[in-house]
Amino acid sequence: MDQLFSVLLQLFEPQHFMFLILGVLLGLSVGILPGLGGTTGLAILLPFVSSFEPSMALALMIGVLAPTTTSDTFPAVLIGIPGTAGSQATVLDGFPLAKQGFAARALSAAFTASLIGGLWGAFILSISIVFAKPIILAVGFGEQFLLIILALIMIGALTGANLVKGLASCTIGLVLGAIGLAEITGDPRLTFGSLYLVDGVPLIIVGMGLFAIPEIVGLLQSRSTIAGKDGLKGGWSQGMRDVASNWFLVLRCSTIGVIVGALPGLGGTVVDWIAYSHMRQTAKNPENLGKGDIRGVIAPESANNAKEGGALIPTILFGIPGSGNKVLLLGGFLLIGIEPGIEMVTTQLDMTYLIIWSLALANVLGAGICIFLARPMSRITTTPYYLLAPVLIALIFFATYQINRDWNDFVGLLFFGLLGVILKTFGWSRPALLIGFFLSSKIELLSYQTSAVYGFSFLTRTGSLILIFVAVVTVWFLLRQKIQNELQSTDKSQQQAHMIVTASFMVFPIAMAIGVLGLDARASLYPMVLSAVLIIFLIFILWSQLRSLQSTRIGTPLPDKVLMRDVFSQDGALWPQLLEFSNLVIFMMLIVIFGFPIATVLFVICFIVHREPTRFVIASLLGFTLVGLMWLLSNLLTLQYPAGWIVNFVNLPWWLSGH
Amino acid sequence: MTSRNILKSTAIAFTISIGLASTALAECNFEGETITIVVPFGEGGGTSQTFGFFQPYLQKYLPGNPLIQMLNVPGGGSIKGANQFHNNQVVDGTYLLATSTSTVLNQAAGNPLVEYDLGAYKPVALIESNVHWFTSPTVSATAYDLGPLKERSLNLFALNSPSSADMFHVWIINKLGLDNARPIPGLSSSNGYQAFLRGEIQLSSHGTANYLRQVKQGIDAGEITDLMTLGWIQPDGSIERVPYAPDTPTFAEQFETMTGAPLSDDDLDTYMAINAIWNQASKALFLPTETSDEIVQCWTNAFAEIVKDTDFIAEAPNRLGPFPLIIGDDARPVVARATSLSDGVVDQLNNALKANRLSYRIER
Repeated sequence: MDQLFSVLLQLFEPQHFMFLILGVLLGLSVGILPGLGGTTGLAILLPFVSSFEPSMALALMIGVLAPTTTSDTFPAVLIGIPGTAGSQATVLDGFPLAKQGFAARALSAAFTASLIGGLWGAFILSISIVFAKPIILAVGFGEQFLLIILALIMIGALTGANLVKGLASCTIGLVLGAIGLAEITGDPRLTFGSLYLVDGVPLIIVGMGLFAIPEIVGLLQSRSTIAGKDGLKGGWSQGMRDVASNWFLVLRCSTIGVIVGALPGLGGTVVDWIAYSHMRQTAKNPENLGKGDIRGVIAPESANNAKEGGALIPTILFGIPGSGNKVLLLGGFLLIGIEPGIEMVTTQLDMTYLIIWSLALANVLGAGICIFLARPMSRITTTPYYLLAPVLIALIFFATYQINRDWNDFVGLLFFGLLGVILKTFGWSRPALLIGFFLSSKIELLSYQTSAVYGFSFLTRTGSLILIFVAVVTVWFLLRQKIQNELQSTDKSQQQAHMIVTASFMVFPIAMAIGVLGLDARASLYPMVLSAVLIIFLIFILWSQLRSLQSTRIGTPLPDKVLMRDVFSQDGALWPQLLEFSNLVIFMMLIVIFGFPIATVLFVICFIVHREPTRFVIASLLGFTLVGLMWLLSNLLTLQYPAGWIVNFVNLPWWLSGH
Repeated sequence: MTSRNILKSTAIAFTISIGLASTALAECNFEGETITIVVPFGEGGGTSQTFGFFQPYLQKYLPGNPLIQMLNVPGGGSIKGANQFHNNQVVDGTYLLATSTSTVLNQAAGNPLVEYDLGAYKPVALIESNVHWFTSPTVSATAYDLGPLKERSLNLFALNSPSSADMFHVWIINKLGLDNARPIPGLSSSNGYQAFLRGEIQLSSHGTANYLRQVKQGIDAGEITDLMTLGWIQPDGSIERVPYAPDTPTFAEQFETMTGAPLSDDDLDTYMAINAIWNQASKALFLPTETSDEIVQCWTNAFAEIVKDTDFIAEAPNRLGPFPLIIGDDARPVVARATSLSDGVVDQLNNALKANRLSYRIER
């Protein structure tokens, strides 16, 4: 108690508080751009950390780190782009809300949930960290393995109305996730001898491609604004009332966030999906989920701040970073003389509490600022498509390039973007594919590690029994929900298109199977089994599609949208979408010729002027502002942008002449 | 003794070593220039942090006080960034490559994707580290009696990937005669350490930094048993114990205890190569191949000045670890040992991989 009290005094000390706010502001401004986040902010700060007084440096670092999971909600809700991997679930209902004109409501609900979730998470953390050590040490390989299986089962709820298609989507993700060096033997799997694929495809590229690009293509197609003809409908204060009336959901999801964030194995990225699935399974009247239900925003957002707190537990107790940005935070801790270890919860408990509550306070500050920004920011959804779309395309490419600084990232983005458009059009589950992709390597490794250490005896450990029990309960919840039959399309040619798409997905398992042929069994067994399972799924789907084609039964003329009512709307035919997709290809070609910054100016100006010839001034203004921003970031972060073919002929400044 | 005190006492090592660095005169001036250090890893990683620490000192001691910037080019286990450096070499002293163990190993192991050649570059400075092995008291082995380890039916140890830097584990553990030891691949050193704390693996290891920060307190509290270090190679080639763990035998000592004979021939060569890759050149800074001797001298002079700086001496043990820098000419033989493995060494390592049923092989 004394410790808590003295910490509270320290927390609101003017200097500490000021540095915290400073950090929060820096974190917010960095985090609002997709692709950059707290990690970038911390990386900018780290060189300066040792020149500050330790407690101030600590406040600054935590301030930078905290609001990333908050501010990435802006792009997720407003434009359907998951700014970080952690905001992917928020897109699911947040973006449909924005499309209906309720952007302000979705944002204010998200930030309020984030704020309360962060505080509740800090509260749970303060109590649990004292006796967390034995619990965390009890989670061995077997428990981690079961935890991932449990996550897969829970997220199975996201597979949409057609269960087999959802499972197949997930398996495609698992197969794609197996690309890269085999974890166990180091054999290359389907890397085509390229350096790029050695590490596998980056998760954020898969996320951006599957979610952001189809939305941008949709926006281009609509020739309107995101919010549509009706414009903004407000609802800012409604968002906060939504959170209040769902308070129990917030507490449950933030508790899930702390636990999953703290446990080894799963990693923070899936927390949002787990929270979303949990909400879906326990929600009464889930009909509207995926089409703009506010609970779909509240659940993941209340978990993602809490998760950051949870990830602090292994960082503080063992010096083992619980998530990517904790690696940097740990580096910062060590710089200012904080040594992780069990002392942190005995003799240095006050320092631990200072860290936890600084994080909580930074969350409150960050979310608070964001709540006030929600209303003005929601105007983005009323920006005409011809202004918004080119900027978004440039932003996505920028975010993509931040991952590896590699040309192949662009190729990957276009590939997964195209895949995303196809999946969306033909009613395959994009979230299931993404989750499968993310968990693939973990499943393979943990199954191997578990069998090496325990064999099957892991199933009788206490932790395992608890997890198996939870899994059974989850399955029961799943089965309780009505599983609906796929409603067949009535149009014969469209049904044939469905079949062509299904058949073309065969390329994934077949390529993988051929690619791993002849490798060591420990490298090839896992992808082989997955490929076999996927082929069986695809054949089954083809067979059922063929059957419905032959029956030529004219069913009730329901729109195709019903197919995937849970996972975005399925809209539009493929061809017009591909036409709009070609804008991205054009931009890519401009980059190849002129390099990224110059291509951005050209693309933004030409695109806007082509569609609305009168808007030349604003077009040039936008184009040059973007380049100014790039120049600034280049200086701050020592960035070189991808240079084009023209550098062979023209001498360009350093930041334009990269590789 | 807490780890902080150990770090302080080892600051002495720094002050001793600086007397050896030569400071011949060299003509060069970087005034108004920007120096780019290519870091083939992500921002905030170990290599970025190490050379980020040098940034202000280099700016201070390089003639003309140039701006120092780090260009992070992550990907492909550092091959991508190093290849990029190789194909864009600028020889005026403003373009350098920072490496870590995995960069060195990828070349030594003959990875076909490697285009760079560290052996041809001009090494400026190496930042040394060491490796520590330890076990749990429940195994009841000690550093002076590995018998109980040998008698167990199975000892598990963590291995990131047979193609990664810690592939040497299998050779080291094999050479101790622990035929009952088996690697569990796919565990990074921190995940491996966590599995060790959970009691799932019996043999665990950590580099110097994490040993001092995490393991040492467990050893002092009797919760962890120290087994051995890889050993600290002196300029004359002798193998010493590390200064902050004076009671812990080196691998060379343990080898002699277990086999009755000191390291020799291919065993010794392999050990020296492993030590060069893993310890001595664990972090390194290179100038391009064609850089003139004068410019190389400028850089080594700057490092010789840096290690005399009082701020540096105060901070370095905490930021870089307790070992002195290996500067300029002293670094050349180390880099040569690390990057070109003799046939005998390659056979040794491949045999150890084979004995552990790992399919990965080093290419000649």
